[in-house]
Amino acid sequence: MSAPPLPQACSAMLRRDLTLAWRRRGDLAMPVLYAVIVAVLFPFALGPDLALLQRIAGGVVLVTVLLAMLLALDAMFASDIEDGSLEQLVLSPQPLALMLGMKILAHWLATALPLIVIAPLLAGMLHLPPAAMPALLLALLFATPLLSLLGAVLVALTAGTRRSGMLLALMLLPLCVPVVIFAAGAVAAAQQGLPWLAPIAWLAAALILCVVLAPLACAAALRIALDS
Amino acid sequence: MTAAATAPLLEAHRLSFHRQDEPVFAPLDFRVHEGELVLVEGDNGSGKTTLLRLLAGLLHASEGRLQWRGEPWRRDVCAGEILFLGHHLGQKLELSPRENLAFAAGLHGRRDGVSPAAVLEEVGLAGYEDEPVRRLSAGQKKRAALARLLLQPAVLWLLDEPYANLDRHGIALVNRLLERHVAGGGAALVSSHGAVGFHGGEPQRIRMHA
Repeated sequence: MSAPPLPQACSAMLRRDLTLAWRRRGDLAMPVLYAVIVAVLFPFALGPDLALLQRIAGGVVLVTVLLAMLLALDAMFASDIEDGSLEQLVLSPQPLALMLGMKILAHWLATALPLIVIAPLLAGMLHLPPAAMPALLLALLFATPLLSLLGAVLVALTAGTRRSGMLLALMLLPLCVPVVIFAAGAVAAAQQGLPWLAPIAWLAAALILCVVLAPLACAAALRIALDS
Repeated sequence: MTAAATAPLLEAHRLSFHRQDEPVFAPLDFRVHEGELVLVEGDNGSGKTTLLRLLAGLLHASEGRLQWRGEPWRRDVCAGEILFLGHHLGQKLELSPRENLAFAAGLHGRRDGVSPAAVLEEVGLAGYEDEPVRRLSAGQKKRAALARLLLQPAVLWLLDEPYANLDRHGIALVNRLLERHVAGGGAALVSSHGAVGFHGGEPQRIRMHA
């Protein structure tokens, strides 16, 4: 009697979560809609000053996308805890950290990827110079999974507490700051025609660290959440 | 024969669990052998669910020892051999019973020669295989969860109130599954505060006291 091989378990996990995301696609539209609304409102509030919009475009898009992700973060493990799927996952003969890593990947694909896809549109509306567009997209490509992973750890830590949303936002804020600084730094450097790869490399390094450590932390936190 | 082959599947010595320094149940001693059915009896709040969650590995014993096939209980040793079915059925409401089963099989494995379709027919969900679980009745949801018993390879079943929400045929189904599992060399701990009409001899009983 042997457990199914890891690749099979990983693909089962990924397939289930993506199917679930697709069945709940109404929920998925929410962060995208939020990002569009915020980005549309900025020029109305600040006036149609081209120079001003160009200067803030990169930062606005980054912050909007990260905040939109925060909206969906809360739900990462909530339904699994509620319906007992998490218990079954913990009891399965698979490494829990890896399975949670797959869940985080599915969550990122379902929530962050659509935001990255519409990011050029938002940036275009705010007149971000085309030269800075690659920097913005690369920064988002590294910053959003970083936020997903950091967020997953905090969601796991606050799992089982009521009104965890508030606590989550407070705990995530200090962790978000460096991510935003490096991502915005890359975009600003690109806008001024300076080399912008160094901040991206920092984001990538942090991402690699988190890819390894965050699922392990999640697994430990969720085991504790169930053990009560 | 080695010692491991003759040792009981599961053995508990003075097992107890404390919540905030209050014992949830009095220390328990029991043994479960292969081919044995054990009923966990007790009033509401006597710790039946806690005991089963403890044995499944979701909780850690506060005191006492737990042995699996003569060796100290370890998660990685028994992970694939224990099947826990609790109050939360672990069924995704947006998925169909077939999809839920496919996921369970991907994670826990599948018995040889067992197909999800045949399993769902056996638990009485023929015709509902592709209906989202959300649209099923409470009893049908329970049956969809019970289908995992037939699909997953596990020696020890830990069933928490398996009769809840089921009609007469459903109760007969649970008893039939249990009889077949025990006859095939499996073991099961079943918690219930109701009458259990099990026909395969007189089962062992664990009385729970707060």
